[in-house]
Amino acid sequence: MSSAIQKSKRPGRREAALDAFSAAWSDLGAGNDAATALRRAGFEAFTGTGLPTTRDEAWKYTSLRKLARHAFRPAGPAEAPSPKQVAAVSVDGLDAACIVFLNGRLEPGLSDLTNMDGIIARPMASYLDDHESSDAHPIGTVAAIGQHPFVALNQAFLRDGIVIRTVPGRAHDRSVYLLFLSVPGGEPVAAHPRVFVDATDGSQLTVVEHYVGFGNTANLTNAVTEISLGPAARVDHYRLQEETANTFHIGGLHAKLLRDAQLATHNVHLGGTLARLDIGIHLLDSGAETVMNGLYCVDGRRHVDNQTRVDHFAPHTLSNEVYRGIVGDHGRAVFNGKAIVHPDAQKIEAHQSNDNLLLSPEAEIDTKPELEIYADDVKCSHGATVGQLDADALFYLLSRGIAPDIAHDLLTFAFAEIVAKRMPLAAFRRRLERHLAGVLADDRLIQENLGAER
Amino acid sequence: MLSIQDLHARVDERPILNGLSLDVNPGEVHAIMGPNGSGKSTLANVLAGRDGYEVTSGSVTYVGKDLLDMAPEERAREGVFLAFQYPVEIPGVNNAYLLKAALNAVRTHRGEAELDAFEFLAVVKEKMGLMHMDESFLNRGVNEGFSGGEKKRNEILQMAVLEPRLAVLDETDSGLDIDALKVVAAGVNSLRSPDRAIILVTHYQRLLDYIEPDFVHVLSGGKIVRTGDKTLALELEERGYDWVQEAANA
Ligand SMILES: Nc1ncnc2c1ncn2[C@@H]1O[C@H](COP(=O)(O)OP(=O)(O)OP(=O)(O)O)[C@@H](O)[C@H]1O
Ligand SMILES: [Mg+2]
Repeated sequence: MSSAIQKSKRPGRREAALDAFSAAWSDLGAGNDAATALRRAGFEAFTGTGLPTTRDEAWKYTSLRKLARHAFRPAGPAEAPSPKQVAAVSVDGLDAACIVFLNGRLEPGLSDLTNMDGIIARPMASYLDDHESSDAHPIGTVAAIGQHPFVALNQAFLRDGIVIRTVPGRAHDRSVYLLFLSVPGGEPVAAHPRVFVDATDGSQLTVVEHYVGFGNTANLTNAVTEISLGPAARVDHYRLQEETANTFHIGGLHAKLLRDAQLATHNVHLGGTLARLDIGIHLLDSGAETVMNGLYCVDGRRHVDNQTRVDHFAPHTLSNEVYRGIVGDHGRAVFNGKAIVHPDAQKIEAHQSNDNLLLSPEAEIDTKPELEIYADDVKCSHGATVGQLDADALFYLLSRGIAPDIAHDLLTFAFAEIVAKRMPLAAFRRRLERHLAGVLADDRLIQENLGAER
Repeated sequence: MLSIQDLHARVDERPILNGLSLDVNPGEVHAIMGPNGSGKSTLANVLAGRDGYEVTSGSVTYVGKDLLDMAPEERAREGVFLAFQYPVEIPGVNNAYLLKAALNAVRTHRGEAELDAFEFLAVVKEKMGLMHMDESFLNRGVNEGFSGGEKKRNEILQMAVLEPRLAVLDETDSGLDIDALKVVAAGVNSLRSPDRAIILVTHYQRLLDYIEPDFVHVLSGGKIVRTGDKTLALELEERGYDWVQEAANA
């Protein structure tokens, strides 16, 4: 809690967003239950810091001034899109149980909670209702309100979202597809969904989170996901952010891994006016491994900020991060990747790379890979690059008769493909590749080859 | 087919080609030899239209058109093909995709119908057989992880698929083992025809045993200092370049 934040809250400079959050919170009502306790703690933590400003190190390159001017209303009942509209925006060809959220709230009419392969999936509100004290459930134990104001804000409004629990020892073939639809609600609406994934011992699960919007209201999505991985559990987590051009998207993805657990995160940003994702992964026990793949495409005047942090707390843990970004027009991208190797975390490996393609002179990229190492027997690497399309490759394509605009798109595609091909879920990758291919997409050959399993 | 007149070109303000003239007729094979740094690749790049190669004077006429006035992709579509001395790796761009896009760009330009995936694969597989290339190369990134020899072979595969009118092969033989050399030579020879011309840049007489040139030129100091028949290559092999340069300077 820095003094800088306190200053921004001095009287007369209160932001519309803060006032609206306070008013909405007061309207929530209180009880003696676990949920109320969590909400109170969240609200207190949030009001203690307020919205971060660019004077905070973690928000140095991302200004929330525009966001702060909006008095976001709490999400109320919204008109549900038709199943056809939903199908039109969903990821095609996923073998998954699809659960749909409207402005954060689970929409039973559009969701399928029946065919879950034994997975327990419960709406957050009813899950919390069953627990009188916060000792009895794990919500809030993975995502810390102290370090992340938006996690605190999310917790202040804790009610929407879902709790998912796998069957111990089972490899769930069917994925869980969480589709978050941001829909117009007259005025800008704030949604604070919380996802908790309890990946029990030795189980395997693929979760796809997909954020999509309808209309052009300036909604706020403030989503937090917690993943708890038991020994030898494996989770493949996909996150596709395709919000509309005016939407503010703030996300947190926090995970704890026990012995021999594996977590792969695949984080893709294609939309939103302002998008920020904080990923925090704790490798708590030996054998825990995480792969972090990320891709962001930033055009127009959009702003995308990815902050990732891996804590190696135990020996023989591994993290491998590959993030790539394509930034054009007046777009701005921020990347900060931290790997922290704690004392005694010997024989770990931490690798990190962030490569960026800058497509216009007005675009901007701030990238900072950070390694903090307090152990001595470790293998670590990190690197960041910002560059343009390779002139030699461009000429090579032109010299084969390829038109300049196609050559340009092809190389841009190729740049992104390096990350896309690290995402094993074929349906997800295909969706991404189609987006990336743009004008190239209608060529059958590229689709056939791209769509093939690798 | 190709007429280069008194060509001067520079790279980064530095003059590299200094009054180069060369005439190539359909059906002919021209070998260009010369010491390292004499400007052979520069000539190839100027012909292909690479950025940064500035022509300061002279002219290049190709099938009656001003070649220097054409964009690189237009030259390719008009039938000019450059096999690169150092082919670039383009990870993420599928080899098959590039070949098909290139072939269809050329065909569209010629007023021919585009090939669909099946027709295309039939053409490519035949040419791959000719080049002794495994079909698995199709689904790899362009030149990605290819060995030096495989890259050169891939250049000739592209040439065989695109069937250019004028092919400029920049040291395609360098780095090839004996068997690969024969395969590449066979690929080039299969393309020889009365209406095509080939310019071979090479350091080694050996290649010319397999692809017999009509003319051998020595490029030195940015211009052609001597022209002969294939026996000139043998003489160069024996005596090196000094005597040619001396004779030229005299
Ligand atoms: N981009 C460039 N910038 C500066 N100098 C260049 C550039 N490209 C070529 N040159 C110089 O131009 C000269 C001719 O180069 P070029 O590649 O044409 O030679 P070459 O005859 O093909 O040689 P080699 O037999 O080694 O392939 C060399 O001295 C080279 O260093
Ligand atoms: Mg050369």
